[in-house]
Amino acid sequence: MYFLYFDPGLGAMIVQAVVAMAAGVLLFSKNVMYKVKSFFGLIKEEEDTYDSIDIDEKDTTTDDHKRD
Amino acid sequence: MRRTPQPMTISETNTHQASFRDPSGYMFHDGETLRRVIHPIYFPQYNKLKDSGFFKTLIDKGLLIGHEETSASAENIIITPEKIPFITNPYEWSFEQYKHAALHTLKIQKYALSKGFILKDASAYNVTFHKGKPVFIDTLSFDFYEEDTPWRAYKQFITHFFGPLVLAKFHGTEVFKMMQTHIDGIPVKLIASMLPGKTKLSSTLYTNIHLLAKMESKHSEDYKAETKVARLSKKAQSNILESLFDYIKKLELKEVTEWGNYYDKTNYDTEAFTAKKELIKSWVSPLQPKTLIDVGGNDGTFARTVLDTVPHVMVTDIDPNAVDHNYRTALKNNEYNMLPFVCDVLQPAPGIGFNNTERSSLIERLRDYAPDVTMALALIHHITLSGNVPFEKSAEFFSKFSKHLIIEFPTRTDSWVESLLVRKREFINHFDFYREEEFEKGYNKYFSLEKKEAVAGTKRILYLYKNLEHGG
Repeated sequence: MYFLYFDPGLGAMIVQAVVAMAAGVLLFSKNVMYKVKSFFGLIKEEEDTYDSIDIDEKDTTTDDHKRD
Repeated sequence: MRRTPQPMTISETNTHQASFRDPSGYMFHDGETLRRVIHPIYFPQYNKLKDSGFFKTLIDKGLLIGHEETSASAENIIITPEKIPFITNPYEWSFEQYKHAALHTLKIQKYALSKGFILKDASAYNVTFHKGKPVFIDTLSFDFYEEDTPWRAYKQFITHFFGPLVLAKFHGTEVFKMMQTHIDGIPVKLIASMLPGKTKLSSTLYTNIHLLAKMESKHSEDYKAETKVARLSKKAQSNILESLFDYIKKLELKEVTEWGNYYDKTNYDTEAFTAKKELIKSWVSPLQPKTLIDVGGNDGTFARTVLDTVPHVMVTDIDPNAVDHNYRTALKNNEYNMLPFVCDVLQPAPGIGFNNTERSSLIERLRDYAPDVTMALALIHHITLSGNVPFEKSAEFFSKFSKHLIIEFPTRTDSWVESLLVRKREFINHFDFYREEEFEKGYNKYFSLEKKEAVAGTKRILYLYKNLEHGG
């Protein structure tokens, strides 16, 4: 049951299972390639204007402790 | 800090025109301040987001716009978000800006997922540029994550972000303008039809666009919502986000514009260039502007001469590459007060959406922004000669939002003007009005002349005008 104010599109909800599978395969093979490359020392550090998808929480308060 | 609850009366007329789709709450104008009302239907989410430190982390990281709770009662909670001087819309972004806004959205969704929340919508209008980088502005966009459910805003992410970006890769950033005519993003079917056949060979593009379009048309008849929605683990959803992130991050443009290396092709030498910079600096300083816009400001070269003294500077240009260049420079130098965006002066963004008021036109936004100084350097000959706009008309345009106007007039002997005139071929005599006197006559209708000086080493004149409406 969705309390939605716009239609998410049923096709879009169903297709995500396939999208996720393809994405999983892609990420897995990327990781394998990365490991192979780093084994042979072929990894080049690239300059990056936009970092990774993950948020580094080390320097902020963690969610477990509520601050008053 | 929570203040004593005070009931607030909100008149219906003050509600923000872009804020009616989400039943969780809406924005309204309280005098000069924009505030957000939260309805009881959203209290559980809001309180959890607040108490778990979720909001705090995102705000501390500069990913979500900060806010303070102004009042709280059983009927509603009112929060006041940090003020953003100027809102740019997706169809006014350069490629890199669009890309960053997309990555920003994925980043927030992935983080939300890890904390048991989701983004319930992935509209491109939830992101804008502030302090030199993208920021998420819809505080009520978060909802609880339900175990094993797919991401309900996935399609919206494709139509608002992924689709336009992939199309831009193949067709150039002109496609971003389609966002003006499609307020809820470019339809998936249309995206799929505009992509070359070879994109079906990419697993990311095939699944996220072509297959999605197929599935959408297959299930568009399901009015009773009888079909079971697929289950999707949290890990699987994270994989989708990560692969989209990786793909978008690598996207690059292949288009070259006429203006990309504009300053390598200018028709005056270094000395004249410096003279022009000095002149601008000496005219801007005494005005002590808090806000400034450089219209047709290319990659921000001239705006940067006053960047250290003006708290908020905007540079707009028709060339997305110049805007891109400007945005990258601002990022690299941490110029938090620089806001670049794309705009064609001859057809500035109109008001769009429901009632034509959901997203304000550029002129309305500029009027509200009310820059203390407007600069228009090496622009008037393009407006007048390429756009066939009479001086009086362009003066009227600038007068709508300018207090002080610094405008450069290249005379008929300037090589750029000459080349524009030559292109008129047999109609060249129709443009005999392109003269200093005519220019001044047109501009005197709306402005009073404060200063006038020839730029040393060039065939150009710089003017400082003051708007007659502003006690000029």
